[in-house]
Amino acid sequence: MVELTLPRGSQPTKGKTWPKPDGARNVRTFRVYRYDPESGNPPSWDTYKVDLDDCGPMVLDAILWIKNNVDATLAFRRSCREGVCGSCSMNIGGRNTIACTSGIDEYDGTITISPLPHQPVVRDLVPDLTQFYAQHAAIKPYLQTDTPAPEKEWKQSPEERAELDGAYECIMCASCSTACPSYWWNGDKYLGPAALLQSYRWLADSRDEAKGERLDELDDPFKLYRCHTIMNCAQVCPKGLNPAEAIGKIKGMLVERES
Amino acid sequence: MASDWSDPRPMSPHLQVWRWHATMASSILHRATGIGNYIGAVAIAVWLVLLAFGAEGSIAFLFEGWMAWVTRFGLILLTYSVSYHWLNGLRHLFWDFGKGFDPKGSNFRSMAIMFVAIIPTAALWLGFGS
Repeated sequence: MVELTLPRGSQPTKGKTWPKPDGARNVRTFRVYRYDPESGNPPSWDTYKVDLDDCGPMVLDAILWIKNNVDATLAFRRSCREGVCGSCSMNIGGRNTIACTSGIDEYDGTITISPLPHQPVVRDLVPDLTQFYAQHAAIKPYLQTDTPAPEKEWKQSPEERAELDGAYECIMCASCSTACPSYWWNGDKYLGPAALLQSYRWLADSRDEAKGERLDELDDPFKLYRCHTIMNCAQVCPKGLNPAEAIGKIKGMLVERES
Repeated sequence: MASDWSDPRPMSPHLQVWRWHATMASSILHRATGIGNYIGAVAIAVWLVLLAFGAEGSIAFLFEGWMAWVTRFGLILLTYSVSYHWLNGLRHLFWDFGKGFDPKGSNFRSMAIMFVAIIPTAALWLGFGS
């Protein structure tokens, strides 16, 4: 359901402003979303001053700097710090991305950081992505075949393999799905760009033999057709993938099947 | 509006923090102009029915004094609404053929359509004015 405002109790209050670090000359301000489930308080915007001369170049470096030097209670997910794990996805400067591949110098002025949009917040920058993962599982993201397994591998020509380029590289960071207004309003019924891109990855696979069943599953007013080509998914994908285009291709497959 | 958010945890900010791309603006404008066209079509149909029954005098006030300007402004908006919705509809047609999904080009086309829709609007109304 469309609700343009945040529900009661979700509205962040003006939080704490931490002082400028001693002796720092090259300072950048970060406005970070904070929520502590144990406190009983609503979320807040806390303000931190980061000494850029003492900090790495990426937004993730700044967040780690804050945690190490200013406020050890700041919670967030991160792992690989090089754009392959998808853990540090968050909203930075009003757009979803992964903090580890976003340079601080890509942003002007104060940098606002909040959890991935329209999700339940576990703590600070950590959203609950249970629904997102369940949707990924729902599209059966694995090879399905009826014919007996060949003696060695399932073969595929280089051309057939090339069909999967741009469809298989997803790192499941959820930047796209949580960027999508359709997903915000109907996330319980609409599968969202990430799951649909993954579904397309199997629909486009020459070896997969469940194309009919996959399309049957998607032929639904909500699961697929809530995509209105708003394009936020493709705009924010930190891997440069294009879920909107994949969804368009799935819609095309459904039309071709009817005719 | 009562919220249907039943989770005890807060909902993370969405529209409150989002920095819009042109495609997001053109998408919501497509829906807004669609609603506008719907209302406009009903209004024009009512006007035609009144004309058919020779009862257009009952809405004569819409074309008198300052109301005439309000009516004219509404009709100009409706012209823009139809122009925009038609042009962006063409674009949806291209999308349905699997073309034009690149983010940069999409942003450009979103802006272009918003501006280009002014041309038929202006042509029609400046033509009327002469």
